[in-house]
Amino acid sequence: MKKPDVKVVILGDMNVGKTSLLHRYTERKFRDTVSTVGGAFYLKQWGPYNISIWDTAGREQFHGLGSMYCRGAAAVILTYDVTNWQSLAELEERFLSLTDTANHDCIYAIVGNKADLSDPRAQLPVAPDDQGEEPRTEPQVPSACPTPPASPVSPVSPGSLPKQVGRDEAAALYARVLRYKGLDEKSSLPADRMCFETSARTGYNVDALFETLFDLVLPSILRKRNENQRSPTVDLEDYREPTGKRRGCC
Amino acid sequence: MSVKAFELVPAVERDLLMGDKARINVECIECCGKHLYIGTNDCFIHHFLLEEVPSQKGRIKYSAQKLQQKYLGLKKPVTELRAASALERLIVLCDGVLFLVDMATLETVPSATGSGGAKIKGVTSFCMNGNPVNTDPFCVEIAVISSRRRTVQVYTVFEDRVQLVKEVTTAEQPSVVSLDGYFLCLALSSQYMILNYTTGASQDLFPYNSEERRPIVKRIGREEFLLAAPGGLGMFANAEGVSQRAPVNWSESVIGAAVCFPYVVALDQDFISIHSMLDQQLKQSLAFRDGHILQDFEGKVVLASTKAVYVLVPLPLEQQIQDLLSGDRVEEALVLTEGAQLNIPRDRFQILHRRILQQAGFIQFGQLQFQEAQEYFRKGELDARELISLYPLLLPPTSSFTRCHPPLHPFADLNHLAQGDLEKVLRCKRFLISYLGSVRGTEASRAAREEVDTALLKLYAEQDHESLLDLLASDNTCLLADSAPWLEKHSKYFALGLLYRCNGHDSAALQLWIRVVDGELQDSTRPDLYEYIVDFLTFCPNLDLVWRYSDWALKRDPKVGVQIFTKRSSGKDQSGQPKLDDVITYLEKHSHARLLYLEHLVLERHIKKEKFHSLLAVLYLEQVLFLLESSPPPAPDQLSHARDKLQALLRESNLYRVQLLLGKIEGCDQLLLERATLHGKLEDHGKALDILVHQLHDYSSAEAYCLWASSSQGPACRQQLLHLLLDLYLGGGAGEKRGDLEMAAVDLLNRHGEQFDAVRVLSVLPEGWSLQLLKPFLGRAVRTSVHASRTSRLALGLSRAENLQLLHDRLKERRKPILVSEKRGCHLCHNTFSCPDVVCLPGAIPVHTHCIAHRLSDSAPNTHADSTPSKHTDSTPNKHSTQNSNHT
Ligand SMILES: Nc1nc2c(ncn2[C@@H]2O[C@H](COP(=O)(O)OP(=O)(O)OP(=O)(O)O)[C@@H](O)[C@H]2O)c(=O)[nH]1
Ligand SMILES: [Mg+2]
Repeated sequence: MKKPDVKVVILGDMNVGKTSLLHRYTERKFRDTVSTVGGAFYLKQWGPYNISIWDTAGREQFHGLGSMYCRGAAAVILTYDVTNWQSLAELEERFLSLTDTANHDCIYAIVGNKADLSDPRAQLPVAPDDQGEEPRTEPQVPSACPTPPASPVSPVSPGSLPKQVGRDEAAALYARVLRYKGLDEKSSLPADRMCFETSARTGYNVDALFETLFDLVLPSILRKRNENQRSPTVDLEDYREPTGKRRGCC
Repeated sequence: MSVKAFELVPAVERDLLMGDKARINVECIECCGKHLYIGTNDCFIHHFLLEEVPSQKGRIKYSAQKLQQKYLGLKKPVTELRAASALERLIVLCDGVLFLVDMATLETVPSATGSGGAKIKGVTSFCMNGNPVNTDPFCVEIAVISSRRRTVQVYTVFEDRVQLVKEVTTAEQPSVVSLDGYFLCLALSSQYMILNYTTGASQDLFPYNSEERRPIVKRIGREEFLLAAPGGLGMFANAEGVSQRAPVNWSESVIGAAVCFPYVVALDQDFISIHSMLDQQLKQSLAFRDGHILQDFEGKVVLASTKAVYVLVPLPLEQQIQDLLSGDRVEEALVLTEGAQLNIPRDRFQILHRRILQQAGFIQFGQLQFQEAQEYFRKGELDARELISLYPLLLPPTSSFTRCHPPLHPFADLNHLAQGDLEKVLRCKRFLISYLGSVRGTEASRAAREEVDTALLKLYAEQDHESLLDLLASDNTCLLADSAPWLEKHSKYFALGLLYRCNGHDSAALQLWIRVVDGELQDSTRPDLYEYIVDFLTFCPNLDLVWRYSDWALKRDPKVGVQIFTKRSSGKDQSGQPKLDDVITYLEKHSHARLLYLEHLVLERHIKKEKFHSLLAVLYLEQVLFLLESSPPPAPDQLSHARDKLQALLRESNLYRVQLLLGKIEGCDQLLLERATLHGKLEDHGKALDILVHQLHDYSSAEAYCLWASSSQGPACRQQLLHLLLDLYLGGGAGEKRGDLEMAAVDLLNRHGEQFDAVRVLSVLPEGWSLQLLKPFLGRAVRTSVHASRTSRLALGLSRAENLQLLHDRLKERRKPILVSEKRGCHLCHNTFSCPDVVCLPGAIPVHTHCIAHRLSDSAPNTHADSTPSKHTDSTPNKHSTQNSNHT
């Protein structure tokens, strides 16, 4: 198994499209997903580096696993659904505390997915390989907006849903994330760089999101590599000398 | 789903274990090598010898032989059993007491005297350290969950005693423990945690309600644990508290789990579920009633219901992979193969991996997924012949290749694969073309070079592919014997010729091509095949071939054919090139070509050889004579063209034999101009001009003759010839011609006035000519004369100047610099000099300017103007040099 050099974790409430985002990025497709059980990860070759991207489960049931996934993460993608205000609120209420185990220099991105539902710009396919790749299912109606009972099967046409979360709200959350982390807003990455609106369905902004993050975590990879190089022993299997041996009896 | 990764094989059946005693249940098991120990609820330990017996079809069966059973005397169930084989001890937990029994006799080991004893009381659960920190092989480490609240103890167990190493307390009550090195992995009542028992450092893993569901903590490798997580997950966690693998999805009621790479095996009440650790997918699920225990012992997974024991035997990896492949599950098969990399010796893995990749390639190939197939073939370093051999007739009969066994695919050949679908066949062929093109020349296809190239050639020929010629034009290893009939079949004669050439049969190639050009064979590959052959012969170093086949080429088109000789390298190195004389002899039969060849030698290569020049002149002449005599007369421009060439040669070449040509031309009155030229060549200018003036009456030619004949001789010669012509004009002829001649004379004079000796002209001119008539001539003559006089004066002046310059240089050489300084005095006033402006008297004597001026104005006021220049010529350079010396 290839050893990842760095870890990126996607967090967010269930149904916001975490799995779909990762899938869009890695397979360049949008397809049916089932609600993620536990978590899954994907190894991405980025130049000479291996980046592991963890897709976590948003369901409440698996919430406890989050801190473990975040342990040692170099970047965390906090995902919400632009048509569902509650999903943004959940980020702060439930998910932010999970990142306590992440690296000290961890970077945070706030990502509003399903932009295609509210923003006509996000409906344009971005990459040439998107052409002819129609979504197999109609986008689901987020739970916050119940379907009128009169037409239970009426498809939701793209762009017809009201946007519930604006960019400024995402930026405000970003500022609060920094504050929570005790980071100075001025010396941190600016909100306009770290807040994204994406659509896994059309591919809008998806590559930009991941590639921006990868470029930003590279320094962290390099530092880790250097640290490893400095130790004279060959680290074959992640085996570290148990620290207690040298400490003696007390 | 549905990989067959494991088979459930009964090991100890109910009858053997408990006969008909219905109340007896299995409580725990331990397996160590061939020894199986079973603890029951009636406080017995049963000891079996468990042996593998191969049965048919390579399956494994187990035969169990009961060695003994032992009642422990506590009337309580035997809770846990662990073997410490190096100590020959079983560690037994029964009724909250942990103690040791002898592995062979099952006798309880008495405590060694004076030590802490071989018993630990108040134990609820224990585990062995899978990664011991103690280097002594004759002890084992265990972690114990004490019945005292929130306490975990670590002991070292010796043959006959146990020794407490460390005791730690936990925040909550632990229920399950696992130990790796210094790391305790614990299930507490509300969460899992990792605890380093020496440093006390702890790491929370994740919440889990151990009271609600049974926790599982299973060490699966160095510092890595498998844990039951909420939602029926199997989570991985390492000692740092990081998950490095994605979780697997069990049911909510898992009882036990183990890893048998690359699978995670889990047991719940009704099923054994098997997930792959590589892709987290459920791969197999086996029904298992009353599941009770699942444990792995040195890689062997053993299960027990309450009444019987089974072994979960993994099917050989290769077989699992083949099963996947036969279900066309290529990706999974590859994941499985690659996942096994660390578990198989390197060289065996590589062989296996390559084979699987190749098989995967053929599966994709069979589905016409060519891009994927090619990638797999490439990675699997497929012997290209495996693929070629699928295509009928492509493999040369001489090839020693036999398909790999067992076969990589089920296809007999392409027809079998395509089932008569021609479109499919065609697509397969196109794929082979691209595939072979890509492997050609790579290291992997070295052994199959001939087969690859031959197959490519055949495909190219059959598909009318443009690369056929590229293949043959480059280095290739196509087999001639096998390819030639194929190329003939597809009328690729040009290509066949190239193939002959590649094999060194140039002559065969030429014969074949000649037949194509002559229309005997049909192949339109190259409409310009004739030119191609000529080109080929031109650059052919084998002169035999050149002599043999040039005849044909020259016959077909002398003009193009002669290029064989004219375009041959004319560089320095003429070895290997035909001798020029030989070529001329060879060309005797081809007069036109010979003429072209001579022209090439004489006019283009400027070869200075009398023979070629004479021959060419004679040939030109013969041509002209032939045209003159032919009837009906040829078109005038044809004749004039031929004559132009003859005249040009006669004029410009100095090498031909003039007499020979004169002899041939003598009788012919139509070629007077040529005759004049020939006389000119003999410097017989009188005769030449006489012919031009008196026989041909061609005055402009006569004039041109003078210029031509003297062009290399200088003005004197030209003057002489012009005078000769003038004399001819003025002296000869009577009647009408006289007027013409005089006019010619006037024109001549007026046109070339400056060339004549004017005085001599004036003396011969007839008295009666008007000045007006000769005005241009006279003008030019006078101007020339004035010009000459001025030019000579100018030359004189320049010579003088040069002379002076030389004199000056001489003086400068002879004289030393004149020093002027503030310490030296003037010879006239004896005062010192204060500025560098001085005048020098002859003899290098510096004096003040004002002193000498004074002296001159005093002594000779009249001669002042005259004497100054002479003084100046002397003093100027000196003044100059004083300045120089003053500066230094
Ligand atoms: N219109 C639209 N629908 C999306 C988009 N991304 C995801 N969806 C839909 O949203 C639903 C949930 O997507 P998932 O990717 O499974 O969501 P998730 O965040 O992984 O959910 P959990 O795994 O349960 O945490 C699916 O029905 C998707 O089809 C998007 O960009 N636009
Ligand atoms: Mg998901």
